[in-house]
Amino acid sequence: MAHITINQYLQQAYEAIENQKGTVCAELLSFKHPHVANPRLQLANPEDKCQQVLEPPYDEMVAAHLRCTYAVANHDFVEAYKFQTIVSHKEENWALPVMFTVTLDLRIFANNAQQQLQQKGKGQPSEMLEKAAEQLMSCFRICASDNRAGIDDSKKWGMMFLSNQLFKIYFKINKLHLCKPLIRAIDSSNLKNDYSPAQKVTYKYYVGRKAMFDSDFKPAEEFLSYSFQHCHRASRKNKRMILIYLLPVKMLLGHMPKLQLLEKYDLLQFSQVTKAVSDGNLLLLNEALSKHETFFIRCGIFLILEKLKIITYRNLFKKVYLLLKTHQLPLDTFLVALKMMRVDDVDVDEVQCILANLIYMGHIKGYISHQHQKLVVSKQNPFPPLSSVS
Amino acid sequence: MMHHNKGSRKWQNPGRGQGRSQSQMKENVKTPQRGDNTVPRGVCQTMCPARELHKRESQNRLHRFEMAVGTEKDRRPRADPLRAVKEYSRPAAGKDFANSADLRPPAVLLKTVCYLIDEVASFKFISVYSFVFDRLRSVKQDMIIQRAHGPDCVAILERMVRFLIYASHRLCDEPLQLFDPCINDTHLQENLSWLLDCYANETGPHPNQDEFQALGLLYNLGSHRAMQHIMELPAPLRRAPAIMLAISINRSFLERNPVRLLRCAHRLSFLQACALHRHVTASRKDLLLIYSHGYGSRNCRFPLDALCKLLALEKRLTSTLCQACGVEINADEQVMFSKASFSEPEQEKLCCSLYHNIVAEKEKDLTISSIINGRV
Repeated sequence: MAHITINQYLQQAYEAIENQKGTVCAELLSFKHPHVANPRLQLANPEDKCQQVLEPPYDEMVAAHLRCTYAVANHDFVEAYKFQTIVSHKEENWALPVMFTVTLDLRIFANNAQQQLQQKGKGQPSEMLEKAAEQLMSCFRICASDNRAGIDDSKKWGMMFLSNQLFKIYFKINKLHLCKPLIRAIDSSNLKNDYSPAQKVTYKYYVGRKAMFDSDFKPAEEFLSYSFQHCHRASRKNKRMILIYLLPVKMLLGHMPKLQLLEKYDLLQFSQVTKAVSDGNLLLLNEALSKHETFFIRCGIFLILEKLKIITYRNLFKKVYLLLKTHQLPLDTFLVALKMMRVDDVDVDEVQCILANLIYMGHIKGYISHQHQKLVVSKQNPFPPLSSVS
Repeated sequence: MMHHNKGSRKWQNPGRGQGRSQSQMKENVKTPQRGDNTVPRGVCQTMCPARELHKRESQNRLHRFEMAVGTEKDRRPRADPLRAVKEYSRPAAGKDFANSADLRPPAVLLKTVCYLIDEVASFKFISVYSFVFDRLRSVKQDMIIQRAHGPDCVAILERMVRFLIYASHRLCDEPLQLFDPCINDTHLQENLSWLLDCYANETGPHPNQDEFQALGLLYNLGSHRAMQHIMELPAPLRRAPAIMLAISINRSFLERNPVRLLRCAHRLSFLQACALHRHVTASRKDLLLIYSHGYGSRNCRFPLDALCKLLALEKRLTSTLCQACGVEINADEQVMFSKASFSEPEQEKLCCSLYHNIVAEKEKDLTISSIINGRV
């Protein structure tokens, strides 16, 4: 297969199309398949040859694909990207696998092309990816608007794959608001539970991350947990990626990860954060956040982790309560606790605001008395377990 | 002129850095698939192309700022070529937008912007806003058609952003037909993200970068996109004082600590305060909500004076705000917070400009042109 001639290759393509063999066809147009390394197929001008064997529009598709292999062989990803865009076109349902491989390759090339352009200092930072997203979006529209009666040969089966590809781009270029229409389209489709497990894992991963950034932590936990539990156990790298977002969400909801889990997935960056939050140690939390700042920012979770501060306040104040063993706690004591954590620029007004917020959120049962400058907490269960709150 | 089809959202001028803008740009402004070499280059050396000037003069469509002095009362006022400015005109099929005689090169565009700010914007602001807004929009259109970039482009965008931020504060309580906050916001966001793209892609120096990065975060407080953008800036830039202050205000917002947020707000410059202003009322309301829960015990009293200090409002305004939120104040000037009685105020009841004090006290001696040209 790796060293067939151009004629043999075209013959195979012809047969695959004639018999509507989507998967075979997809392989013949995929960059994950060995034929792309075959120098006999890497042609700069394959159009005539293709026209002789194949009917339109396939001649054009295959020709573009071959030109693309030529460009990739020369490490010219910008060119490769241009040709790849020609390949993606609407097809019948049997050709969905073709669309999957082609669009996947398109996104990867767009990514590479972007990097190449940036190294040369040309172009807008996300120009290539935005254009690729447009192409994918036009495929998505075709799939979503397929209203044929038979579910089996509906192109709607392509929607989740495409939205996953689009999510990847939108997350990369930091334009999450564009995800919303895709999610709505999939939600309202009757196929949403019947896509392949792999697609669902990816889909829920991105929808979960989106929910997390919108501060919808409960749904975020559901999506990401689903994704983590159903992700294939061999895909450690993917499971690790899911955990990077699942951990902060779980922590915000009061579930602290075990050290073994962090060790298993090489995520010890979280271990200090976890410890700081559980101990109510603001000082350690700030240290841990700044120590791994680059990692957390790159993953886009720095700001989510900063929200853990509220829970850390709660845990610190709970310690104050346990130490004083009374239900009427002078506000000054909280100020002292905060100063011990080297939170120097607070005063008693801010302490009151922090406490009021904790009461409002349900982390503390009680009230503040301004006259007596005291926090009065409930006799029963003044600090409800985190997992029962929110 | 700019309001009549706002429902369709077609007025959205394509800005870079908006997800769908690339395709819109091709639709709106007919520049079909030109390579870099065939991008139109303007040659028009005046603020208004001669053709448009004559056309609008003959159609009696001159703005009073564009009429020759002494002819304003005539049946057909004459145009003053030194004061007429190209108006925004909606892209439509058949119009040639790439005619270089009608396009102004970046240097002329910058001069146009400076004229609008120095000579026009200093009149009564509400009466000139729509004129300046429209002419700035045509400047932006010329920039997009020519794919303008470089220092002039940055200088123009910086002034546009300042103008729109100032307007968002100054005009926020004006009736919809005079000022539409939605349209103002759309343009502000587009210009801002184009400007931030310029900073990221063009080799500097960009002496005002910290100012605008901070303005962007303050205006979009709590927005994930804005926060992530700031976090990804190079560390030395992130440590600029203006950005550090913006970050710490944003952090107070995330931690839901309005007391701290309002305190930090006092340290902002005038324009920064304008950018933050749309979040300030919300923060004050938030404070009342949180305190209604924290101090919600029946016998608790909270002195009005202390609340005024926290809200950074004088007594009269504090009472008005409390009333709008259902928070009671008794005859002894004691606030009686209660979980049950807090209610989300209706939008119309909260006249925003009443609470402008944080911003207003900073404006005192500033002129509009010094604010927008950035010489503060």
